[in-house]
Amino acid sequence: MADVLLAAKGVTVRFGGLIAVDNVDLEVRAGEFVGVIGPNGAGKTTLFHTLSGVLVPSAGRLVVAGDDLTGRPAHAFATHGVARTFQTPRVFRDMTAEQNVRFGLEFAGRTRMHAHDAFDDARTILGFLGLADAAGVPAGGLTPARQRLLEIGMALGARPRVLLLDEAAAGLTHTELEAAAQLIRRVRDELGLAVIWIEHAVRVLMNYVERVAVLHQGRKIADGDPRAVSKDPAVIEAYLGEEGEPEKKAA
Amino acid sequence: MGFWLDLTASGLITGGIYAVVAVGLNLQYGLMRIMNIAHGEFLMVGAYLTWWAHTALGVNPLAFLPVVMVVLFLAGLLVYRVCFLRIARGAPSVEVIEARSLLVSFGLMYLVQNAVYLAWGADLRGYSFLTEPVEIAEARFTANRLVVFAFALAASLALLAVLRFTLIGKAVRAMMQSPVGAQLVGINTATLHPVVFGAGLALAGVAGALLSMVYEISPSMGEPYTVTALIVITLGGLGSAAGCLAGGLLLGLVEAFGMHFTNPSLKMLLSYGVFIAVLLARPKGLFSK
Amino acid sequence: MRALGLRSILAATGVSAVVLAAMPWLLPDFWLSLALTCLMYAALAVSWAMFCGATNYLSLATSAFFGIGAYVTAWGLATLSYPVAVILGGLAAAAFATLVGAAVLHLRGAYFAVLTFGLGELVRHAVTYFEKSYFKTVGRVIQEAPSSTTVYLTVLLIAAAAVCVCAMVRASRLGLALAGIGADEERAQTLGVNARRAKILGFALSAFFAGAIGAAIAVRWTYIDPTAVFNPFIGFQTVLIAMVGGAHTLIGPLVSSVVFSLLTEFLRLQFPYAFLILLGTLLILLVLYLPGGLASLMQRRWVRG
Repeated sequence: MADVLLAAKGVTVRFGGLIAVDNVDLEVRAGEFVGVIGPNGAGKTTLFHTLSGVLVPSAGRLVVAGDDLTGRPAHAFATHGVARTFQTPRVFRDMTAEQNVRFGLEFAGRTRMHAHDAFDDARTILGFLGLADAAGVPAGGLTPARQRLLEIGMALGARPRVLLLDEAAAGLTHTELEAAAQLIRRVRDELGLAVIWIEHAVRVLMNYVERVAVLHQGRKIADGDPRAVSKDPAVIEAYLGEEGEPEKKAA
Repeated sequence: MGFWLDLTASGLITGGIYAVVAVGLNLQYGLMRIMNIAHGEFLMVGAYLTWWAHTALGVNPLAFLPVVMVVLFLAGLLVYRVCFLRIARGAPSVEVIEARSLLVSFGLMYLVQNAVYLAWGADLRGYSFLTEPVEIAEARFTANRLVVFAFALAASLALLAVLRFTLIGKAVRAMMQSPVGAQLVGINTATLHPVVFGAGLALAGVAGALLSMVYEISPSMGEPYTVTALIVITLGGLGSAAGCLAGGLLLGLVEAFGMHFTNPSLKMLLSYGVFIAVLLARPKGLFSK
Repeated sequence: MRALGLRSILAATGVSAVVLAAMPWLLPDFWLSLALTCLMYAALAVSWAMFCGATNYLSLATSAFFGIGAYVTAWGLATLSYPVAVILGGLAAAAFATLVGAAVLHLRGAYFAVLTFGLGELVRHAVTYFEKSYFKTVGRVIQEAPSSTTVYLTVLLIAAAAVCVCAMVRASRLGLALAGIGADEERAQTLGVNARRAKILGFALSAFFAGAIGAAIAVRWTYIDPTAVFNPFIGFQTVLIAMVGGAHTLIGPLVSSVVFSLLTEFLRLQFPYAFLILLGTLLILLVLYLPGGLASLMQRRWVRG
């Protein structure tokens, strides 16, 4: 059994009177491909904020590869191998695409010892994502879809062991969704990362991940094999009125 | 006993002024993320207008207060329209709004201050008003200081009431909590923003007018109040008018007592010390939940 | 404008410095004094832009740093040599900046700006109090001031150093970190940038030069008192120069500082208040209509052509 790379233990986030994340446990092992789904407001992005150090939880612990990083600033998480994308792409608009990717390599990427040569080079990362032609283009001038890919590239530049993808496929058509999902799985397969993927397009996600956790109103209500989870009555009820049932893989 | 009362009263009086000045800035920054570093200059303008009205026209300063309010409110509308509207509309993010409004108001500060220098010169000005002493519980105050305190308190409470009980006040509070939500409910930000900005400057002007009754004035008198206003906002919590009142009074007291036991020159050091301490201990303000 | 390589910049700076070093023997006193003012503002503006231009944190603390440096000279010139006083002035300002930075740099930009704005007053009051209580004096007389040639060459050296350090920082990891912080601080942190450390370092570095300049220039006054030395106009002028030139560039503040020094020299004494009204208006118009400064005009033209 591979080592636990990232573990959230009893993580709770309170904003004044509102409980956004309620006592959530989540573990990710090396090389795992985990999906996190849930209706709007379920607390997925907030959970990501705690997992990446952007937000300090009100309670609970965050352990990255054995080190307790609870309360440490975001750069500590990054140098320990946790990289993330944001829901709305936050690229450095005035820098070129290549500079954007190289940014991660200069900072978190430097301190991470990694076996994969693909990480060492901004151009290779861009090529992997299909952005090779955009290397010299200022990031602000890219289309939103390409900016989304660049977001992933920036995170890869930080040479993570765990990649947190926040709605990497929002606003895409069905074919684009499939392409994005395949790309993400390739990222995991070829680079040996663990990937945690938040996605609203639940159907696509379920076809690709090996494990899925479901959040509802801040609490984790399911965690396991996608097929089993999609049949879980609590999950179905949570989604009633949202997207409809998360369907199992088309045969 | 009288001595302590005197010290406390001094602190409260100064604190009342701080509260009024801070509330204006709080509204502007809390609502629009416009950090108007020239805020203190409009306090100074209020002081000079009152002084001029009294010495040149013989008008009673208290009676002139509403005029100061109106003049500065209108000035606020103008300043917002000319200086800040463009920033609010064109900026890609909140940070840019803050940064640009800071720079613009920095220029505005020099503009306003030197316009006053040009008009009335650099000498200290002043006038006497209600200087008869009044005795309360073994402590003696000059009547004007009591009046200033009463008006500052009244202004703060009136504003609190407006914010809490009137429709427009509720609109402002709604906007401060959720700009998007407020717009969805139909609150018109295009009219509300300049009005709030104007109200902020009007409050600063009133504070200045009150100060002119007690102290001598100079064109550079406004600067320290901007910094103090920010410290009060931090004490009371951004977005909380009640916090401003409490924070202002508290800061006034801390300064009064602190200055007595150390040295008046260290007033700013004291305020900064309080500021840093609050930031470290309770970053969201002393009175937040 | 295509960014020049680091080596070209350093070489150009070196050559210019050598050329400018000849001025004391070529220029009459008035023009030399003007050149001195230009160099002073060049150093202040370039070092200000190094931190504030990159990170978009508006520091109004230049006056405080300048004054601290000036007082190091005022207190120390009798016992220390002039060069030592200058370096010490820079270090004192940098130390102060580190302290202040650790306390307030994690705040949002607006708070940081207003607080640095108050710093000048704060230090002025503190120094006034200190001087009155311990030395029983208001101001000080500078005795044994170095020759004007020495002062000029020292300020030239500081300015050249400021330009070189700024260029080196921009080409370094620190510069990249600062740029990332300016673009999106939280994003930069999630990519491994220790924002707190980078900001404090950048802030202290920029303060060093302001303090060194203050220490060097102080000898121009024979009588120093807190009001003269902690003059907020110095901070204002620095910000204006950097913003007009283009705070994100190296050459912008340099060119702009020459223009402004000339303007100030010829207009300020004649129309002190009107001049400042003009400058205030200029800053307002600039931020509203040309936030990138004049340098951004140049870049746009290049890109289109």
